[in-house]
Amino acid sequence: MTTEVSPPLPLPNELTAPFWEGASKGQLVIQHCNACGNFQHAPEPICSACLSFDLGSAAVSGKGTVYTFCIPTQAFHPWFEDKLPFVLAVVELDDQPGLKMITNIVNVNPDDVKVGDRVEVTFQPLGEGFMLPVFHPAAQ
Amino acid sequence: MAKKNRVAIVGVGYSDVSRGTGYTLDKLTAQSSVAAMDDAGIKPTDIDGVVVHSFPHQFVSSTHTAAMLGIPDLAFYSGNVDGAAYSVAAMHAIAAIASGSAETVLTLRTVHKDGAAGGGRPSGNQGIPGNQQFSMPYGSFTGSHWAGLYMQRHMAMYGSTEEDFGAFAIAQRKFAVANPTESFFHEELTMDDYLNSRYIAKPLHLFDCDYPVDSSSALIFTTEERARDMKQKPVFFDSWANGTTKEADFSLVGDMTHSSPWMASKRMWSRTDLKPSDVDTAGLYDGFSFIAMQWLEALGFCGEGESGSFVRSGATSATGSLPTNTDGGACNVGRRHGANFFIEVTRQLRGTAGDRALPKKPEVGVVSNAVGGFAACALLTAE
Repeated sequence: MTTEVSPPLPLPNELTAPFWEGASKGQLVIQHCNACGNFQHAPEPICSACLSFDLGSAAVSGKGTVYTFCIPTQAFHPWFEDKLPFVLAVVELDDQPGLKMITNIVNVNPDDVKVGDRVEVTFQPLGEGFMLPVFHPAAQ
Repeated sequence: MAKKNRVAIVGVGYSDVSRGTGYTLDKLTAQSSVAAMDDAGIKPTDIDGVVVHSFPHQFVSSTHTAAMLGIPDLAFYSGNVDGAAYSVAAMHAIAAIASGSAETVLTLRTVHKDGAAGGGRPSGNQGIPGNQQFSMPYGSFTGSHWAGLYMQRHMAMYGSTEEDFGAFAIAQRKFAVANPTESFFHEELTMDDYLNSRYIAKPLHLFDCDYPVDSSSALIFTTEERARDMKQKPVFFDSWANGTTKEADFSLVGDMTHSSPWMASKRMWSRTDLKPSDVDTAGLYDGFSFIAMQWLEALGFCGEGESGSFVRSGATSATGSLPTNTDGGACNVGRRHGANFFIEVTRQLRGTAGDRALPKKPEVGVVSNAVGGFAACALLTAE
């Protein structure tokens, strides 16, 4: 007998929906200020660089660098019980200095990941139609 | 900023502390408050301010606390939910007394074992609201996750090793063994013990983590004038400061090896004539061992990236230049969200640490709390 385990699914709102809609189309979409061009993640109702409320979103390159990572070996949610160990990482995106996101590094032996590794975005199904932007080692 | 009043710590107290007291937050709060009043030799009617720090789901309000204790009227109260845990309560109380808003303030941090770890879990299938939808789907749920991220970054930037973090856990455990009435751990830790303890989020080991307990911690602050008439020798705040990073999300701060402790430290030192070399003992927050080590670097006790070698040199031991976390730290006496460091440094400075009194009586101590997005620190002096 198996019990269905649900993934931790997002509850998109006006600010966060573009990220998830973009991911469902295979694009990494980040909040973008229409006034000054600043990217910010996570999205907020105001641009912290210029205080504009005129915010949109834009697809980014999907390329970045591993800023740091860890390898969780204990699940704090049932969804991750059969996924241990995995790589939880912070990736700095190429599109703007300091623009970072929490993500996973996939398709790699966790112990082979290093800070500074070049990575590229890919997308994994999360559940109920949601796609999760994650990263894998960049092609040489 | 002109300071109207010099601020002193005159009373400290704990509730019963265990893995499961079965007590409500209210009862724990009342216990520690009574202990602190007894220590100070004062009555509820001597108190005109109450400040508590609470995460929203672990809330005992200031006014409810005052009502439980029979405090008739509060000139100042605050129930803060944001920032560097107990230290925020301390900062509010110091500001209130220094400005003349209140004279004698009870400060509190009360935690239950389950629920004080921060973060949160999605419940049911309702979906994750807000910005946690950008962390939880990736398996990031607790402080242990960002702790692993901070440790890895330090290792990559400075070549530090798991053994460096282990050295801190081992050094701190030595103090815990000498504090049997408060510590939950009574055996010295070896490097093998540390390295063989399970990972929570590699490189973070189990023994890097504070120990969840039910506890309430209380301290009473007052003016110098009033402090002189009280039971205990007062301990004074010389300088104090908060600091934050531009990014609120701990996992996304701009520079993980120079997070908010650096901002708070710089601000604290800018407000005093004391220097790091004047400090005789330290109580550095150890929600995770790397946090105390970031404070060693931020406060200028060692060079950037050199906290591991500093600890390995014995500098933080009882006979070192900076005995650190002399009660054993929260990894051993249990999670107090920073209050235990204010309490222990006070006990050392005023000479009430009993068997744990340091070989060289300290005159100046430093305390600190938190890391990442927000932090606070303070210098305490015996006179």
